[in-house]
Amino acid sequence: MPQWQKFGQLSSRRDSFIELDLSGWPSPSSEADVVPHFTLNSNGRVAPRATQPFWRWVPFRTTVASAKTAGKQRPIQTAEMAPKFSWHQKCCAEVDDLMIDVDRDGPCNGTTLVNTATSDQPRSAEHYDQATEAMLTQIRDSILKAAELLPSQGPITGFAFLNPLQGLEHLPMSDALRQVKQIYHCEPYLSEDRYRQYVASGRIGVEELTEVVDEDLQQTGSERIAGLATRRELRLHMLQHPLHTGDARELAWVIAETEALQSFLPDTSPVVRERIISETQQWVSSEQAAGRNPDHIAQLAADSSESWEHACLNHLFHTIHQNIEQVDITAPVVSVSRPAELLKQIFHIDCDALVHQELITFCAAFLDQGFAHWRLPKRDRGFFAAYCSIVTANQRSAKRWMKGLAAEIDRIQAARLTPLQVIQESLQLLGVTVEQQPDFLRDSLLALRGFCGMLWQNEFRSDRVHFPCPKDTLVEFMAVRLLLDRFALEHLARNEIKTQLPLSRLQDWLLDEQQQRHQERLNNTEQLAYTIFQIAQFEGWLPQQLTAMSSDDWQALADEVRNFSDHERRRLFHAAFERQLVRRTLDSISLRAALPQVTPAAPELQVICCIDAREESFRRHIEETNPDVETFGTAGFFGIPMYFRSAGDAHFSALCPIVMKPQHWVVEDVVYAFEEQHNSRARARRAIGEASHRLHVGTRTSVLGAFVSTALGPLATVPLVSRILFPRMTAQMHRTVRKFVSPPAITRLRLERSPNVPPGPTESQIGFTLDELCAMGERALRDIGLTETFSPLVIVLGHGTTCLNNPHESAYHCGACAGNAGGPNARALAVILNDPRVRRRLAANGLDIPEDTWFIGGLHNTATEEITFFDLELLPTRQIAAFRAARELFEEVAQRNAHERCRRFESAALDLTPQQALRHAQDRTENLAQTRPEYGNGTNAVCFAGRRSRIRGLFLDRRSFLMSYDSAQDNNTADILARILGAVIPVCAGINLLYTFSAIDPAGWGSGSKLPHNVTSLLGVMDGASSDLRPGLPWQGVDIHEPVRLLFVIECSPDKMLSIMDRNPAIDRIVRNAWAQVATLDPVTTEIHLFRDGQFVLYPTTESKLQMATSSADCYRGHRDNRPFSMIGEA
Amino acid sequence: MNAMNVVNIMEALGYSVVLAPALLLAAIGVPMLIGIRLSERRVSSLTNFGVAIGLLSGLGVLITMLLTGERSVPISVGHMFEIPQEHFHFSLKLLFDRLSIPFVLLTFVLCGVIGAFARAYLHRDTGYRRFFLLLSLFQLGMILSSVAGTIETLFLGWELVGLSSALLVAFFQDREGPVINGLKIWVVYRIADAAFLLAALLLHHLTGGGDFNAMTGQGPWPFGTTEIDSGHVLLVGLLLLIAAAGKSALVPFSGWLPRAMEGPTPSSAVFYGALSVHLGAFLLLRISPLLDASLTLRIAVVLLGLITAVFATLTAHVQTDVKSALAFASLTQVSLIVMEIGFGLRYFALCHIIGHACMRTLQLLRAPSILRDNHARENDLGSRLPEKPSWITSMTPEWMRTWLYTWALERGGLDTMLMNWFVRPFLAFFYWSDRMERRWTAFLSSDDADTAADDVTKAEV
Repeated sequence: MPQWQKFGQLSSRRDSFIELDLSGWPSPSSEADVVPHFTLNSNGRVAPRATQPFWRWVPFRTTVASAKTAGKQRPIQTAEMAPKFSWHQKCCAEVDDLMIDVDRDGPCNGTTLVNTATSDQPRSAEHYDQATEAMLTQIRDSILKAAELLPSQGPITGFAFLNPLQGLEHLPMSDALRQVKQIYHCEPYLSEDRYRQYVASGRIGVEELTEVVDEDLQQTGSERIAGLATRRELRLHMLQHPLHTGDARELAWVIAETEALQSFLPDTSPVVRERIISETQQWVSSEQAAGRNPDHIAQLAADSSESWEHACLNHLFHTIHQNIEQVDITAPVVSVSRPAELLKQIFHIDCDALVHQELITFCAAFLDQGFAHWRLPKRDRGFFAAYCSIVTANQRSAKRWMKGLAAEIDRIQAARLTPLQVIQESLQLLGVTVEQQPDFLRDSLLALRGFCGMLWQNEFRSDRVHFPCPKDTLVEFMAVRLLLDRFALEHLARNEIKTQLPLSRLQDWLLDEQQQRHQERLNNTEQLAYTIFQIAQFEGWLPQQLTAMSSDDWQALADEVRNFSDHERRRLFHAAFERQLVRRTLDSISLRAALPQVTPAAPELQVICCIDAREESFRRHIEETNPDVETFGTAGFFGIPMYFRSAGDAHFSALCPIVMKPQHWVVEDVVYAFEEQHNSRARARRAIGEASHRLHVGTRTSVLGAFVSTALGPLATVPLVSRILFPRMTAQMHRTVRKFVSPPAITRLRLERSPNVPPGPTESQIGFTLDELCAMGERALRDIGLTETFSPLVIVLGHGTTCLNNPHESAYHCGACAGNAGGPNARALAVILNDPRVRRRLAANGLDIPEDTWFIGGLHNTATEEITFFDLELLPTRQIAAFRAARELFEEVAQRNAHERCRRFESAALDLTPQQALRHAQDRTENLAQTRPEYGNGTNAVCFAGRRSRIRGLFLDRRSFLMSYDSAQDNNTADILARILGAVIPVCAGINLLYTFSAIDPAGWGSGSKLPHNVTSLLGVMDGASSDLRPGLPWQGVDIHEPVRLLFVIECSPDKMLSIMDRNPAIDRIVRNAWAQVATLDPVTTEIHLFRDGQFVLYPTTESKLQMATSSADCYRGHRDNRPFSMIGEA
Repeated sequence: MNAMNVVNIMEALGYSVVLAPALLLAAIGVPMLIGIRLSERRVSSLTNFGVAIGLLSGLGVLITMLLTGERSVPISVGHMFEIPQEHFHFSLKLLFDRLSIPFVLLTFVLCGVIGAFARAYLHRDTGYRRFFLLLSLFQLGMILSSVAGTIETLFLGWELVGLSSALLVAFFQDREGPVINGLKIWVVYRIADAAFLLAALLLHHLTGGGDFNAMTGQGPWPFGTTEIDSGHVLLVGLLLLIAAAGKSALVPFSGWLPRAMEGPTPSSAVFYGALSVHLGAFLLLRISPLLDASLTLRIAVVLLGLITAVFATLTAHVQTDVKSALAFASLTQVSLIVMEIGFGLRYFALCHIIGHACMRTLQLLRAPSILRDNHARENDLGSRLPEKPSWITSMTPEWMRTWLYTWALERGGLDTMLMNWFVRPFLAFFYWSDRMERRWTAFLSSDDADTAADDVTKAEV
C-alpha cells in the first residue's frame, strides 16, 4: 500500500523554478535513495494559480502519486513517470506544497526518487542500474542505429566515394527510395519534367516505357479499370502526357479563367476529339429522341449552343468533379516524429533554425582541426561537458530562447546526470513514447546530418583526423540537441503560438492540428478531379461512359490514378531512362565481342592504368595511336595498401580504398648522395614555411597586420591578376622558383623491413617484409591476367590531378587511393616487380617475368595530361630507346585525350585542335577562378571487367570503368574474380551512386553550388556564413552526369557470378537489392545474361549492326553530350 | 596647352569616370529588362570594356592633375533642386582630389579583377547575368560615392552600394539563409542611412547646401578647415560616425559582416573584404576637417575604433570557418584605419585602406584554397602548423578564459543586444502605436466603446 508522506516544502520561487527543500525528509532508507534537491521547473513564471501550469518534471523513473493542494490531500492516480503521464493537468490549482509518494512496495521497484548524486551507496546504485540500464542501452542503440543513416563522408581532404544511402543498402533500392523523401527530405528521382524532356529528345523511348510498365505490372496490367481502360493503357498514357497539377486554388483558377473547359488539351489527338464530340452529339440526340431528358442531358444541350466542344468538356469535368467528391480519398497521414518539423509544416515557424545556429557554431568549434587560433576550452572533456561549460560561462549574452538553460545545466551537473540520462529525461519531457523513440532519435540526428555525420566519422574512424572525437560524442551531441530543442520549442510554443500546453503534449496537439487542417483533403479532391479530367481527354472517355459509372467504379478509378503517384511515375520513367542505356551498352558490347579479339602478338609496350573511367579514353587513345601497345586496368592502389610519406611531406597519408585501413607505412628517402642538398633545401623550405605562416596569421590578426597590409597589400594584386589572366605562365614561374627548394629529384622508396619487426610508423618499422612484397607483386599481375607475353617495358600509371582553389580537390584524385594521387603505389609496384629476389620467387610460382622486362612507375595527371615517371635513373640502358618511344606516344596521347575531354567543357570551343585543347586543359587547372578543372568520373555509367581484347576498339566515351580480368587464368571457383569484385563492386558502385544522387538532387544529396562554399574546421564546407556541413559532390562536378545506376558487365558465366554473390555478402547486397545492375558476358560465346529479379536471364541483342567510326574523334567531334558506343576501325 | 582646354579635358575625363559604370549598368540591365538574354561572353566583355574605360579615364584625370599641379577639381553637374532666395540647393557635383582619385582607381582595379574572376567562377550559374548586373550597380555606387562633391551625391552612391550589397548577399534566392541575412543587412544599413540622412539635412540647414566645401572649408583635401561652429560639428560628426559605423560594420553593427558571406566568393571578396567595408572609413576621411574642429568627436572616433579592434581581434581568434575569420580580420584592420583617422593620420589611413583592400581581396578569393595552403605550409615546415598559444590565453586569468572564449564565440552577443535593446523596443513601440491608432479610430468612428475594445483584441490576436 502506498504510504503518503509529506515530502518537502516549496522553499523558494525563483524566476523559473520551484525548488523543493527536502532536508526534512528522513535519511535515505535501505530501499531507496532520495533526492535532496528536487526541482519542479515551470516555464517562465511560476504560476500556481494558472489553469494549466506547465510542469517540467525532472527526476526520471519516479512515481508521483499525489499532489497535496492547500491542505486537502487529493491523491491523483498513481502513475509511472511514463511519457503518457498526465498528472500536470490535475495538480493544477493552488499548489502550496507537494506531497510525493514513495511507494516502496509498488509493482515497480524503482518508484522512488533517485538521485545519482547520492547513489554511491552500492545497493542503490545497483538497484538503479537494473531498472534503468535497459532503457538507456535502448536509447544508445537507437542512436547508433540511426548513425548508419548519416552521410559517410569523412574529412573533405580524403574524399570518400560511398553510397549516400549506405544505411539503407539492406533494402531493395526502389524500396529504399520510397522512404528517402521522408527520412532525408531529398528527391529520389529527377523531376517529371526532366524525364519528359528526355522523352521528347528520344533519350527515353516509347518502347522502353512500354516494357517498363509491362514488367512492373506483370499480369495485373490487363485488368480493366471502371470499364474504361486497362491499367496498362492508363499508366502508359499518364506517362506519355504531361499532367498539370497544382494547388486547389490554382486549379480553380485554371478552370474558371483559362480555356480548360473551352477546348481540348493540345495533347489530345484530333481523332479522339472528333470521336468524343460526335458520340456525345449522338447520345444527346438519341436520349432526347427517346424522350429522356435528365438534367445532364439538358445541360449538355444548353451548352452545345456555345459549342459542342465546350459542352463535352464541361460535362466531363463536372461529372468527374461531382463523383470524385463522393469518393473516399483519405490519405494516410505521413508520420512526423518531431514537433519542430510539425511547427514548420503547420505554422511555418522554424524551430530548428534557432537550435541549429547554436549547434553549428559549437560543433564547428568542437570538430576544428586547428583552424581557429584559439581552441575550444575543455574540449578534451567531451562534447557535453564542453558545451555545458560554454553555456554556464557566459549567461549574459544568451539569446532569449535560451534563458534558463544555464540554470538547467547547473541542475543537471549537480545531479551528475550522464548524457544518456539527460536524453532520457528530455524524451520524457517531450512526450516521446518508447515506440516513437527510434524514429524520433533518428530524425533528430538527421536534422543536422552534415555535422552529425562528421562527428560520427571522427568518432569511429579516428585514424583519419588529427583531433578525433572521443567515444560517445554522438550520444552527447544528442543530449545537447534535445536539451536545446526543449528550450526552443517551449519558447516558440509560449511566444509564437501562445499555448500553455505542457511540452510533452505539444506533439500530440500539433498532430491533431495537422489532422484538422482540411486544406489537404480539399487539395486532394481538386487535384484528383483535374488529373482525371485531363486523362479523360487524351484517353477519349465519353460523357455517357462516365455518367453510367457506379460509385464503385469511381472509387476504383480514383484509387488507380492515385496509386500511380508522382513517385511511381518517376520511378518508371527512371527505369526506362536506365533501360535504354543498358540496351545500347549491352548491344554494342555483345556485337563488339562477336568480332575477332585484338591482342598484339608481341606487344611493344604494356601500360597498366587505374580502373577509373577517365582512363578509358586514355587507354583507347594509346591503343589507337600505336596498335602494338597493350593496356590493362586495375584498382589504382595496385593492391598495395599503405600509409605513405614523400620526401617533402610532413605527414603520412593513407593510399588505399576508403573502406580499408592500411597496416604498413612507407616513406620516400632522398638518396644518400644528395643528403646534404636535401637538408639545406629542407631548411630553406622551413624558413619559407615559417615566413608564410607568419604572414598568414599576421594579416589575420591585429596590429602587425596593419603594417604588413599597408606595405605589402598593393603587391597582392600582382599574383591575383596574373593567376586569373595568365594562369599557365604564373604556374610555370611558381614551379621554376619552387624547384630551388624542392627535395632533390633522386629518391628511393623505403619498401622493405626486416620480418622480425612489426610494421609501424617509426624508422625501423617502415615497409613490408619480402614475403609480403612477393605476395602483392604476384597478386597484382594475376588479377589482371598479365602472366605471359611481357613486353620489354611495362609502365604502371597511378593517377592524380592538379586543381587550384578548390576544397573538393581530393574528389578529383584517385578514388582507390582515398582521394590522393596514386603515384607512389604505381611506383612501389614497379619497384617490387623489378626486384630480382621477387622475380625469382614469382618464377618459382610459375609466373616468369623475362629478364629483359623492366617496370616503370608513373603518375598520370588527369587534368593536365602530364605524366611523371619515377626512378628513371635506374632504367637499364637497353630499355632507353623503348622508353623514348613510349614518351613520344604519351605526348601524342595527351593531346588526343585532352581534345576528347574538352568537348565536355562549355567554355572550350568545339573546333579546337588537339594542341589547343591540351593548352586549354592545362590553363584550366592553373586558373584560380576555375570551378571545373576537370569532370572527374562525372560521366560514369558502365563497369567492364574482363579481357581488354573483347572490347578493344570500342568507343566507350569515358563512361566505363575498365577492370582487366582473364577468366581463362582463373580456377573453377573463380577465386581471382571473387577477390577482384570484392573491391570493384562496392567501390565502383559507391562512386557511381554518389555521382548519381548528387546529380538527382544537387542541393539535397550533393553539396549544392560551389560558389558560396566556405571551408569549416578544415574538415568540410558550409554554404555561406553558417549552414550544415555539405557532404556530397558539388553541382559543378555533376552537371554533366547522367544519373543512372552503374551497369557491371563481367566476363564470366552466370553460375560463377551467383556463386561469388553467395560467398560475398557485400556484393550480394548490392546486386540483389539492385543498387547496381549486373550482366555477365560469356567468356566463350558472346552471350550476355542480365541479372533481373534474382536471376540471370539471357539478354536478347536488339541491334544487329555495330555503329562504326574511323577514329575516336570521329565518334565525338562537334558534340557535347553523351555519344553512342561505336566501334573504331574499318567497316 | 591653354587653360581652357585643360579644364575641358578634365571635365570630359571626369564625366567619363562616372558615365562608364553608368552606361555599363544600362548595357547589362536594359537587355535584361526587355527580356534579351545576353551570352555569358558578351556580358563579361561588356564589363571588361566598361571597367577599362573607367580606369583609363581615372588615370587620365590623375595625369592631368599631376601635370597641371591642380589639387582639387570640382565638376558641377547641375542642381537637382534650388531655392535661390534661401540660398538652398540640392546639387550633383563631382570632386576629384587626392582622396577620390585613389578610391576611384582602387574601385576600378578591384571590380575589374572580380569581373575577370567571376567570368570563369560563375560559368553556367543561373545567376550569371544577375551577378554582373549587381556588380556594375555596385561599381557605379562606389564611383559616385568616391567622387561625390556634395553630401547628397554621396548619399546616392552610398544607397546604390547598400542596395547592391544586400541583393548580392541574397544572391542564392532559393535558399532561406541568404535571403534572411540579406534582409538583416538591409535593416542595419537603414539605421546607418537614417543617421546619414539626418546629417545631410542638418548640413543643409546649417549651410544651405550639401557641398563638402561648405562643411570642410575651401582648402583641397586634407587641408580644409570647417566653418561650422563646434557644437554643430559634433552633432553632424556623430551622426556621420553612426552612418560610417553601419557601413563599416563597427561596433555595435558588427554582426552583419559574417552574415554577408552568403553570396558567391567573388562578391564576398569585393564587398566585405575590399570596398564596401571601407566606405565608412572613406566617409570619415572625407569629413576629416570636421574632426579637427572637435576634440570630442576625435575621441569618439578613436574609441569606436579601439572597441571594434578589440572585439574583432578576439572574435577573429575563435572563428572556425575561413570566411568568417577573414571577415573579422578585415574588421580588425578597418577599425585600426578608423583609429588612424581619429589620430589624424590621414595619408597613412588612405594607404592602409588601399593596401588592405588589395590584400584582402586576394585572400578572400583564395579562401577555398585554405586546405591546400595549410597542407603545403605544413609540408614546408615538416610538421603540423605551430600551435602558438594565443596571447589572449597567456594574458588572461584562467577563470576569465572560458568566459572570454564564449563571448567571442557569441560574437559579443551584439546581435542579441541589438535585437533586445533596439529592434524589440522599436517594434513594441510601433505595435503599441498601431493599437492606439486603432483604438482612436474606433473610438472616433463609432459610439459604441465595446466594439472598439473588441477590435483592439482582434488586432492583438
